[in-house]
Amino acid sequence: MTLAAQILATTIILTTPILLAAIGGLVNRQGGIVNIALEAKMIAGAFIAIVVSSATGSWLLAVFASAALGGAIGYVFSLTITRANANMIIAGLGLNILVAGLLGFLLSRVYGTSGTLRLPDVHLLPKIFPESVSDVPLIGPVLAALDPLTLFAWLAVAALPFLLANTRLGLRLRAAGNAPQVVRSVGLREKSIQDFGTVFAGIFSGLAGAHLSLASIGLFNEGLSAGRGFIALAAFYFARNRPVGTALVCLFFGFLDASQIRLQTAGLPPKLIGTLPYLMVILGLCLAAWNTKRKLQA
Amino acid sequence: MSPEHPRTDRSVSTRIGARDISKNYGLVQANHGVSFNVTPGQIHAVVGENGAGKSTLMRILQGLERPDSGTVILNDEPVQLRDPQQAIRLGIGMVHQEFMLAPELTLLENLVLGDEPMRTIAGPIAIVDWKKALTEARALEKRAGVAIDWNRPTATAPVHIQQYVEILRLLRRGNDVLILDEPTAVLAPQQVSKLIALLKQLRDQGASIIFISHKLHEVVALADHVTIMRRGKAVASASVDELDIAAMTRHIMGDAPADPSEQARAAVVLPDARRILRVEGLCAVTVDRSQALNNISMDVCLGEIVGIAGVAGNGQEELMECLAGLRSMSSGSISLNGAELAGKENMDFRRAGIGYVSPDRAHEGLARLASIADNVMAGSQHAPAFLKGPFRNLPAVGRAARQRLANLDVRYGALSDPVSSLSGGNQQKLVFARETASKPQVLIVSQPTRGVDLNGIAAIHAILRQHCEGGGCVVLASEELDELIALCDRILVLSEGRMVGAVRNEDATPETIGKLMLASGDGLEMAHV
Repeated sequence: MTLAAQILATTIILTTPILLAAIGGLVNRQGGIVNIALEAKMIAGAFIAIVVSSATGSWLLAVFASAALGGAIGYVFSLTITRANANMIIAGLGLNILVAGLLGFLLSRVYGTSGTLRLPDVHLLPKIFPESVSDVPLIGPVLAALDPLTLFAWLAVAALPFLLANTRLGLRLRAAGNAPQVVRSVGLREKSIQDFGTVFAGIFSGLAGAHLSLASIGLFNEGLSAGRGFIALAAFYFARNRPVGTALVCLFFGFLDASQIRLQTAGLPPKLIGTLPYLMVILGLCLAAWNTKRKLQA
Repeated sequence: MSPEHPRTDRSVSTRIGARDISKNYGLVQANHGVSFNVTPGQIHAVVGENGAGKSTLMRILQGLERPDSGTVILNDEPVQLRDPQQAIRLGIGMVHQEFMLAPELTLLENLVLGDEPMRTIAGPIAIVDWKKALTEARALEKRAGVAIDWNRPTATAPVHIQQYVEILRLLRRGNDVLILDEPTAVLAPQQVSKLIALLKQLRDQGASIIFISHKLHEVVALADHVTIMRRGKAVASASVDELDIAAMTRHIMGDAPADPSEQARAAVVLPDARRILRVEGLCAVTVDRSQALNNISMDVCLGEIVGIAGVAGNGQEELMECLAGLRSMSSGSISLNGAELAGKENMDFRRAGIGYVSPDRAHEGLARLASIADNVMAGSQHAPAFLKGPFRNLPAVGRAARQRLANLDVRYGALSDPVSSLSGGNQQKLVFARETASKPQVLIVSQPTRGVDLNGIAAIHAILRQHCEGGGCVVLASEELDELIALCDRILVLSEGRMVGAVRNEDATPETIGKLMLASGDGLEMAHV
């Protein structure tokens, strides 16, 4: 009973960074840009969160800094695609490598360390509810683990379908992704609309990074994001850009991640168990593709 | 009057026009001193062959291109159009041949896109007011006199409804200059007359309408005034009452021979009674599992051209793809000379003697960046005659390519030029040169004259006739009813994936076929065969 509740609580927390990045990537893709550089913005967000949290002692400023850095990287990334006509996949790959390289450089040059950055006085994300809620049966551990970014992520999931359908920006974004020439022909600037989508994805990936480093560990490591930006990509592909479906897929990946930690303590080889979520992504995408093919041939 | 506040003003003599416009692309003179005037409340047809400069002129009027010299006139005053946004603000709206509607959005979303009615919910936060949008849509719908299901995803709406939505969107935004680029190409005859009625009604309300067309009888039926373009110049401009179709044709063609499709009618040989291609109970489904083809049966005899008619998107394309072995069928049979082809692949269809001319020349018919030689020889690359050991025998390939191109009189620069350097008509003739080289018995030909000028059309029609006279047969799908009527011995009509009728050549008129095209596929008895 308590084990199940604990796995559930871990699942919720491990889902948050994937979910935040997936929301960003989903909006971006509805606007017509496949953003494979979520990973880059995530790891940059995780880094800046530690630096700012340590320097200011404020988790909130750190979160804002992550969002701002993610958004700024996203904007530059978008310009290379919409204005300089770079191929979005190649540019995304390049950005992932570039950011990882720059961070490694910064770590060794500025902080004189390699791989891991530990700074003093890092303030972690607070918990929303006091410790005592964990006594509530069933959902107690989940409530106790809730942090502001997790709550924000799920509120975003709930609001997103409405916003996409009923706001001017949402409508124009979907139109830009579906038929950019149509957007142009009605006198709108489709490139600016797409830029918005990429900045949005940057902000949310930055937040995802902040959650990675500030939720519990309080330090930065070069391998911290561990491909979660790509898992997020798989999540909204898998759910065909539907917000709620995407959230459920993220939750599933979070669950695999959580049970993987539990299985490791049960004595199974940790590296092998660690591959489980990634294996499931490949399996899931194959199943989705197979399903489409089956429908085509029926 | 400020040009930023256009709208209908009947006091001006030119609502929109051009004065002495010239535009060059490199050495090509697309427009050469073109002038024309459209008054408020006038339907003005612009006709001419492909490449005559119509599109360039329209692009200039929409602000997509700037003229090298000359000016655009709006409300009697010269104006410099910087970009399409400005043209839209000035009331100039374009109905494109490829509709400018986002397929995944609903019709209502497309209607309001770019000018959404908003509703404040709190302070500065506003959301789209869908209720108001629907009210506006209903009012426009009434004005056009059609019923529209506004919440339908655009991709699933019939083509003529999409066209209405595109026109209504322009009206909603106050555009009173409408430019329509071949608007009837996608419509059935009855829908054409409805469109003509709507456009006349809009004209009577003061709109200025520019109408680009290849079909002269529509020009006569619809337009008040016609401007004819040839080789970048406006060669004639007159009231429609003053120019008959014969005179228009003379202006369009210059000194080229007059309408060739009429000439060879008498020479059509009677079909041999031997049925070589048999289709029975053919069914096929689309991606979303809807039935694209439902129980199609047909025969094609030697020496015969069989036409396939239908409003775009009623299964013609799928049928042609099945006949070419490019689409898998869910049940039924296709046999050629008694040999079953169901379940086989395109290569087997080709070996059995079936050639295919795709409607999508740019993507399926040709490899656009590859050379002329490679395009015309594609499919023959493994023939022993064109190989030398493991390598291609390039001299032999070159000789054969030149021979094939010469046979069908394809005009080209050099064999190594990319095929995209050819004009539309010559590209299509090249496709025919390739497809007929292996002497197939059956040619499956889809939309062969799309985007081809009048001389090219005549040449392609001659190729099809020759193929039949030489003992082959043709299945021809075309959106041009005139073309089907001129060429085909029988015309089969598809509606909603079913064969709803067959018409013999002597009974075929746009009206009889049009009526069948609009018939619902459900529970309908086959019309006379």
